[in-house]
Amino acid sequence: MLALRLARGSHPLVLVRRLLVAAASAGVGFLLLCALGYAAAHPASAGSVLRLLWCFVPLAATVQFAVAVARTDPSTRPRPGLSSMGLGPVRLSALAAVSTAVSTTLGSMVALLFFLHLRGDLTGMPFDGGAAEFLGAGTPLPPAAALMLLALVPVAASTASALALRSRPDPARDTFGSEELPEPAPAPAGLPWGVALTAAGLAVEAYASRGPAGNAFPLPGRFDATPVAVLIGWTLTAVGLAMAGPSLTHLCGRALQAVRPGAVRLLAGRVLMNEAHRIGRPLGVVCAVLSAVIAASALYGGDERPYGPLTALGAVLVLGCTTATLLTSSLEAKHARAHTVEALLRMGAPAATLRKATALRAGALLALFAPLTWVIAQLAALPLAD
Amino acid sequence: MVAPPDNDVIWARSLHHSHNGSPGLGGVSIGVQDAEILAVTGPRGSGKTTLLHCLSGRLVPQQGEVWFNSVPVHTMAPRVREQLRRERFGWIASDPELVPELTVWENAALPLLLRGVSHRAARKAATEWLERLDIAAFAKKRPHALLQAQRQRISVARALAAQPTVIFADEPTATLHRADRTQVLRTLTTAARSHGITVVLATHDAEVAALADRAVALLDGRRVATVTPPAEPEAEGRAACSLSV
Repeated sequence: MLALRLARGSHPLVLVRRLLVAAASAGVGFLLLCALGYAAAHPASAGSVLRLLWCFVPLAATVQFAVAVARTDPSTRPRPGLSSMGLGPVRLSALAAVSTAVSTTLGSMVALLFFLHLRGDLTGMPFDGGAAEFLGAGTPLPPAAALMLLALVPVAASTASALALRSRPDPARDTFGSEELPEPAPAPAGLPWGVALTAAGLAVEAYASRGPAGNAFPLPGRFDATPVAVLIGWTLTAVGLAMAGPSLTHLCGRALQAVRPGAVRLLAGRVLMNEAHRIGRPLGVVCAVLSAVIAASALYGGDERPYGPLTALGAVLVLGCTTATLLTSSLEAKHARAHTVEALLRMGAPAATLRKATALRAGALLALFAPLTWVIAQLAALPLAD
Repeated sequence: MVAPPDNDVIWARSLHHSHNGSPGLGGVSIGVQDAEILAVTGPRGSGKTTLLHCLSGRLVPQQGEVWFNSVPVHTMAPRVREQLRRERFGWIASDPELVPELTVWENAALPLLLRGVSHRAARKAATEWLERLDIAAFAKKRPHALLQAQRQRISVARALAAQPTVIFADEPTATLHRADRTQVLRTLTTAARSHGITVVLATHDAEVAALADRAVALLDGRRVATVTPPAEPEAEGRAACSLSV
């Protein structure tokens, strides 16, 4: 109940973020139900497993987004007042898990209603059974399977957010409101692993595509001989990029503050180095997703009907969730620095300087990651192109 | 509008301010002379911090005037007040308020860097002050590795390195033990006297106030002669405010 009470009093922007989580959860629930409907209608088809497996990509993106939103939620931020009442990090992580579960379950319910409506099982609204055939109407759905699939997102998201928030430190403030200075995070060390995994992924994919000609890598809309190795290659590349992200961000910050920096470069670079852990990983994930999108559009862009509506929904979900995660993480980083920014402004630092520093950080990250994304996309598409 | 006396660096007249309705200042007038160390004393909640914020242009009082070197501060645009804070004022809070990402010398040089001083000159000035305050050995460390007293000395060095006209110190020693407190205060007052810097020092501590040239006492947002509250009435007066709890 406390979760709901806190939600009622929170800022509209926070509620919008939670609604976005609910929408993403609804999208994933709908995709999972579609996979179930297809499997029920075509019991012998091998493609149904593949459809289900493809759903795990948007599911992972949604869980990542839900965790990012739970981390930024002001109502579950450790607060000294609540901590002295016994509502410390552990209870707050339970609170965050409950509020994540509420929003994702809401999304799952919407997905179920929408799915049944489009199948024609619920009547009385426009587009009744608009996609009945497509969604495998006529064959009854096993309710246990439907419930289990719908519970996947809430359970995964709330468990992940509880685990992620449990390890948050409890800020100890003294009576003057001063905060213990946090230990700076050590420089991220994932770069060698990230580069190795990315390279291995590209190599696996190139090796796999040497096989018989034809459609080397079908999207989930069509089901002729998906080479598993290509999928493994892309997954390895994505994991590698996510691992290399923090180190690359850190390097970017280090380059910004090098060689006699003025105030703007100094602040921009050091803050970026400090935030590398927080925003590096979502940045790497966005980079991987964007490169996959570029590669896929380079491969299938010429076709008359390159992808179906469900693939489009999945792609939108993955793109939207990863981008929203990146934005939410940068918001979290901004909140974490609010105290410092306040002190700087009190000192008389012009707001323009701070804005310039933020713009410089964004520009530097863009300058590093945009070419990287393009290069990875080209390398991923190269062996599949012919 | 009355022009302020010429020998006052900062001159304020009948400042009124309330924070969202809760009273802060109720008609405080004050004049700070050039190169003097003025202590603003009073218990917590007596309006010292609000007064310092009004004088330094961080807060515009709801009523009243603040003049700095015969220039009205209360009518300035926010950007000009910001520039005034950056170029002419220094601020030492009870909390060091250091930037955790920057090293010690960068923290001390930050006001100079924000003014656009070259990297080398800012570094030289900051290092000089860190040496004077006996923390040059930590110049390349991050603030998190230092003790609270050392951080507070960095904060003092940051205020002094920018060579301001006025330094506002708001309970600069509140979180320190007595030995550290004496050192920080001695450094601040000695440096201010030798460099002709005006210091407005808010404190609730009579010992600290004794280091100043002059003291102004505040109580409940008003200037008073002493901060000793009126004596409690005896037992018969208590019955009037008894509550059944």
